[in-house]
Amino acid sequence: MEKNLLNAPIGKLKVKRISGGENLFKKLSVMGIYEGSVIEKKISYGSGPVIVKVGNSDIAIGRGMSAKIIVEEER
Amino acid sequence: MRLILTGNPNVGKSVVFSYLTGYTAISSNYPGTTVSILSGKGKIGGVDFDIVDIPGAYSLDGESVAEKVASKIIKEGDYDLIINIMDANNLERNLLFALELLSLKKPVIFLVNKCDIARNRGVNIDFEKLEKILKVRVIPIIATIGWGFDVLDNEIKKFYVSKKIDLCDLDIPESNIEKWKLIGDIISKVQKIEHKHPNFLEKLELITTTPKTAIPFAFIVIAFSFYLIRFIGEGLINTIFDPLFNNYYMPFIEKIMGYIKNDTLKMILFSKNHIPLEGFSIITTGLYVPFVVVLPYVFAFYLVLGFLEDIGYLPRLSVILDKFSHKIGLHGYSSIPLIMGLGCKVPGIFSLRILETNKDKIIAGSLMFLVAPCIPQTAMIISVLSKYDLAYTFIFFAYLFSVGILASFLLNKIVKGISSDLFVEVPPYHIPVLKNMFFKLKLRIFEFLKDAVPAIVGGIFFINILDILNILEKISNFFAPFFKNIFLLPPEISSIMAVGFLKKDVSITLLTPFNLGLKEILVSSFFLVTYLPCLASILILRKEIGTLTMSYVLAFNFTISLFFTFIFSSILKIFI
Repeated sequence: MEKNLLNAPIGKLKVKRISGGENLFKKLSVMGIYEGSVIEKKISYGSGPVIVKVGNSDIAIGRGMSAKIIVEEER
Repeated sequence: MRLILTGNPNVGKSVVFSYLTGYTAISSNYPGTTVSILSGKGKIGGVDFDIVDIPGAYSLDGESVAEKVASKIIKEGDYDLIINIMDANNLERNLLFALELLSLKKPVIFLVNKCDIARNRGVNIDFEKLEKILKVRVIPIIATIGWGFDVLDNEIKKFYVSKKIDLCDLDIPESNIEKWKLIGDIISKVQKIEHKHPNFLEKLELITTTPKTAIPFAFIVIAFSFYLIRFIGEGLINTIFDPLFNNYYMPFIEKIMGYIKNDTLKMILFSKNHIPLEGFSIITTGLYVPFVVVLPYVFAFYLVLGFLEDIGYLPRLSVILDKFSHKIGLHGYSSIPLIMGLGCKVPGIFSLRILETNKDKIIAGSLMFLVAPCIPQTAMIISVLSKYDLAYTFIFFAYLFSVGILASFLLNKIVKGISSDLFVEVPPYHIPVLKNMFFKLKLRIFEFLKDAVPAIVGGIFFINILDILNILEKISNFFAPFFKNIFLLPPEISSIMAVGFLKKDVSITLLTPFNLGLKEILVSSFFLVTYLPCLASILILRKEIGTLTMSYVLAFNFTISLFFTFIFSSILKIFI
């Protein structure tokens, strides 16, 4: 099953794709989240937001948006 | 010469702006502070310049209101030089915006701020190499202590004399993904990260973001903040302001009163009763209320808020509250405008601009009007309830809070559209710089003195005239049965409502001379907090959401207010 940011485990993740429209893609890519980029899921608030580390900064991403970021575990 | 200041949100633009203009702008440590555009004049070594502080943006192509404004000015504005500020802690992301700027081929100087924090966290940047790669001037600075500003001054002077600056001739790709590749290249050449053991602030960041510890911590912070505001506010009133007023000012005024023989003049100046809070005297109550009762609380509130802002706790708080606030239909970031609204509605509404969708703005704006009394109101409520058991103060605010949750539920069902998802940078903690903190506090207090004090004094004078002419009595008698029987409100409330509409923070104040009982104080305070916001905040909100939506919000608020005032009075009739 495909994993998204919401249900992926804590740790380094590679973004496989963004399942959303042009706007979402733009918004995320500006912050460094795009197909192929490596991000680190740091903290999850259960059914709430997720905090990821992108580059050197922490970004909180709400539940709905997190579910649209399809990822795989980075080994 | 005209300069513009650009950069990502929260890179310290406002601190640089304050420096260049000699301390005239507000800056805080959370994204989105500079939503309105600040401009000022500066002078460096004989060079005069105008400078505009552009709202923080992640991209020239962004969707938020602030980013669109920024992009328009940067692309079309009339200026000579861009000063772009980057954050050394996150050079990658800041470089994306920097590359977008460079592709415009306009004169630009780069400042890299927060070098001290970055170094402490193990980030080492080779600025000379970065300068060579980008082919524009790159100056490392630490804005909070002014380190590196002398170099900036020199560059500005040099540019002023030569009117020339090297333009970047790098090939900058169009798409973001290509840009990231280029940034990856650059970073691998100029930045080295060494592993360091987390310092105290980093440990604190972890504790205050990990859910298990962060949620209790947030409650402690909120509770302690309110306690601290009350402690400082009451402390200042009881030890300094009240004694000064009663021991020095009052005797002096009473002496003067003795000399005034004309009864009409006496009535106008000192009202039917000249003791503060017992009559509507412009000379006594008119000064006692703004300076003795309210000012200490304004000071305490903004002192505590300023500290939380500058250390960088507010974005974290909004993340922690997100899960809960989503359930009641609020976007997590809405907690920031609501918290600002607890100080004064006007900056609160300005900060609504950081919210993205219309639905978010309507819900947060409506809630702010309904259940976030501004600090002068809060101060007065605490003051009038202080002679009763503390439990009643608690009951009052608990009831207000519950109504807020219910109203939010309702609004979420009624208001069409989508609420946006949380998407916010969580900045590292900073140790607040006292100079910046107190500068901001000073600005906010001046704002209060300039706006609120004349309105309070004027409102008290207005009521006094109505009172002397017995108009107050006539209006009150007319509405009395309606207010008294249904809502337990004192008959005089109708005239207070009229004044309160012009300046809301005055309204509770105006209740005090009427000698109300506990039940009546609770109900009238609730009604006056919720019924309508002040005219100033209505006018600003109208700009944000339009006249039609605005009237719906007001109608909704008034209905909710009447209904829950009725419920409150019914409950209180049974128990008290």
